[in-house]
Amino acid sequence: MARVTFDNVVKKYGDTTVVKGLNLELPDGAFTVLVGPSGCGKTTTLRMIAGLEPVTSGAIRIGDKDVTTLEPKDRDIAMVFQNYALYPHLTVRENLAFPLRAIRVNRADALKRADAVAETMGLTALLDRKPKDLSGGQQQRVAIGRAIIREPAVFLFDEPLSNLDAKLRVEMRTELLQLQRRLGITSLFVTHDQEEAMTLSDFIVVMRDGEIAQQGKPKDVYDRPNSTFVAAFVGSPKMNLMEGTFSAGKFVADSGLTLAVAGVSAGKKILGVRPDDVILEVGGKSSSRGRVGVIELLGPRAIVQVDASGQSLTAVVESSRMEGIVEGAEVGISIRDSSHHLFDAETGQRV
Amino acid sequence: MKFQNAMMAPLLSVMAVAVGFPLMYSLWLGFTSYQLVSGGVADFVGLDNYMRVLSDRDYWASLSATATYVFLSVTFELIIGLTLALALQSQKWFKNFTRSFLLAPMFITPIAVGLMFRFFLNDQLGAIPYYLNQVGLSYDFFGSGRALVSLAFIDVWQWTPFMVLLLLAGLESIPKQPIEAARVDGANRFYIFRRVTLPMLSPILIVAVLLRGLDALKVFEYVYATTRGGPGIETKTIQYLTYQTGISYYRLAEASAMAFILLVIVLGVIILLFRRLERVNIR
Amino acid sequence: MNRFKLIDASRIVLLVVAVAAVALPLLWVALASFKTPADLNQPGIVWFTPTMSNWAEVLSSDIFVAVGRSILVATVTVGIAVVVGSMGAYSIARFSTGGSLSRFGILAAQVLPPAVLVFPFLSVAYMLRLNGTLVPIIFSHLSFVVPVVTWFLIGFFAAVPKEIEEQARVDGFGRFDTFRLVVLPQVLPGIGAAAIFGFTLSWNDMFYGLILSPSNSTILPVAIAGFNTFRGVELGPMAVAILIAIIPVVIASFFVQKRLVQGISGGAVKG
Repeated sequence: MARVTFDNVVKKYGDTTVVKGLNLELPDGAFTVLVGPSGCGKTTTLRMIAGLEPVTSGAIRIGDKDVTTLEPKDRDIAMVFQNYALYPHLTVRENLAFPLRAIRVNRADALKRADAVAETMGLTALLDRKPKDLSGGQQQRVAIGRAIIREPAVFLFDEPLSNLDAKLRVEMRTELLQLQRRLGITSLFVTHDQEEAMTLSDFIVVMRDGEIAQQGKPKDVYDRPNSTFVAAFVGSPKMNLMEGTFSAGKFVADSGLTLAVAGVSAGKKILGVRPDDVILEVGGKSSSRGRVGVIELLGPRAIVQVDASGQSLTAVVESSRMEGIVEGAEVGISIRDSSHHLFDAETGQRV
Repeated sequence: MKFQNAMMAPLLSVMAVAVGFPLMYSLWLGFTSYQLVSGGVADFVGLDNYMRVLSDRDYWASLSATATYVFLSVTFELIIGLTLALALQSQKWFKNFTRSFLLAPMFITPIAVGLMFRFFLNDQLGAIPYYLNQVGLSYDFFGSGRALVSLAFIDVWQWTPFMVLLLLAGLESIPKQPIEAARVDGANRFYIFRRVTLPMLSPILIVAVLLRGLDALKVFEYVYATTRGGPGIETKTIQYLTYQTGISYYRLAEASAMAFILLVIVLGVIILLFRRLERVNIR
Repeated sequence: MNRFKLIDASRIVLLVVAVAAVALPLLWVALASFKTPADLNQPGIVWFTPTMSNWAEVLSSDIFVAVGRSILVATVTVGIAVVVGSMGAYSIARFSTGGSLSRFGILAAQVLPPAVLVFPFLSVAYMLRLNGTLVPIIFSHLSFVVPVVTWFLIGFFAAVPKEIEEQARVDGFGRFDTFRLVVLPQVLPGIGAAAIFGFTLSWNDMFYGLILSPSNSTILPVAIAGFNTFRGVELGPMAVAILIAIIPVVIASFFVQKRLVQGISGGAVKG
């Protein structure tokens, strides 16, 4: 149980700077998710906490201890890798007990604790099997069990759910979250999947090109993205972003589409509207009109793509309101009040 | 000390004692007039030994005989080895047994192989000459002009398996797609082999030829078992000559010089091989 | 669809010929070991009464002492080679320690002509008064077995996934413990094959043995050569000695065949 602090951490490979002056504090006992597109530096950051990558400059602290130059084994951390890295020559029980050997727990006690952890993770029936005889989900559980047996100060997860099929992923997400709540250990979870990030995190850090684009509570980052990058990255389907000019209560996109948007000062801006906030009406009174393109039915909702004056918009429509909205239909487009986001046309920053 | 260097240290220490030190000492020996009874002390004679060796006609004859031997054996090993490797690759029945059996010769101690053939080919006691006589042919395997070839033949018997091993590994590691693509395009077997398989195999062929060639250079046991250098000096290969000079004639220092010249030749060849290997890896 | 093409037929013929070519001399030696001197002088004999006298003569001689010495030398050499070689091979495979130079050095050490090293060994042996022992031979065998074993193992160590090592380090183990407890178990089959291969190399050496071992307490290949007088009468016992040298090694080769390919290429094929 400890805070993790990054103090101006820089990581270079030769001449390439992969992590640029990172200043970050992971809240104690919270589930923090590090998310971003591939190459943004999130995995490197995670590995630096683990001690698997040396830090070029800066300091990392776990609790009050400066661990920057310490070997992984001296940092009191546990890590789960993407492909679980189970020891092929050991049984499940031995895999679970293995980390205890490093801290000199005697064999009998170690195996007892392994059995206890196995029960927590629902692995009791598999204790005598070898990793190659386990399914992906079972291997994952063993990897997690192996991480928790030492009760470390920090948990590190490197995209552990990426190799699971979609249904299993969602199940494991819930289990992981419940486990973390129960143990209360500071956790850092890296993923490229923003949906996973949003559902799992107490605290989310969005990274891009080696820097933090935005950090905060998931709801805050979703409701108030501070740049077009974060706005487009977080939330699915992607936010609609349009460049255009505001004047007299109207927004005229560069593509030609006109939308009524109140309360915005004049000038060139980027308008962002989440698909959930785009309202489509068959017929309708709105002066902004468009033609329905592709429709994806998702059960309770539908994702509707609309072509409006050369601008493509995505809208999310409740199934109950889908009456008449079919491919080729003409619809009126409007935006839910005060749900829009504005970004500077040059910098992409929130205004 | 850094972990990786600490892990290398034991290896380096053993190599320094078992190889490095003797190498340096051998170099020094070549420049002296050392005798076994000298007990570590000897006169420095500069390049005398080297001069004597290089001006000795027998030495050059020996080099020539060795070169012929290497050329003959490696060429045949390559051709036969490649053919066998191709045949083994598509083998289905008794695959493991055939492979293990055909590889067996390379594991036998060379002196045993030499002695085995000495008598197998002996004109009085051997099976082959006997059966040749039965059909009216008479061939003296160890006679003048033929002994060297017979020795090369022994080398081929024992070491073709080594070639087969390397070439099989090579054949199994080259990508199958280009071959399949050529087949789909309608090329016949021989064309595919010549234009697709062989070029892809060439780096391994080179490694195999050079490894085998360098090993063949060191031939000693077959000579010791059969001809002891004869008839005349026809089969006095370089390692045998060196052994004779140093041990039979007690000219240790001169033998060292002889050996060191051979070493320089060998090093030259492996530096070339190595450059070639590195280039292939970079590609 | 079973098409028996000409090429399949010729392939099988080729392999049969090859197997016969390998088997014939060996068979002949095996038969010779059971022949009396009289029978040996008539190579055309097909039917003969086997005699055990050759075997009796050789088995009751001190050939097995020579065998024992060969085993001792080979075991010590391979023991050292495996320990030292696995650590070095791991370092090279994982960290590319020494870069091209170390790989070159290992290759060079393997192909060194024994004639270069033998005289220094002989000379030092005399100076240190070790010339009556097996110590010089062991050192000379180390000179080529250690590089070969190391070369052999590099490929096996390179095949161990990095993640397992990282997991072990994160789980609380230092780098050497990681090597010992996690990496080594993965390469055990390779080490086994390397040990057998190295043992065979040492077992088969005659050159160093001839020059460096004391004349009255020699190793097996040299003892076999001792039957090599120019008298035909020794052929029977020599055949027995040859078989004693050959059989264990050929049996071992059967076990090692699969891993050999991976090891001998040692990086030459896969880099």
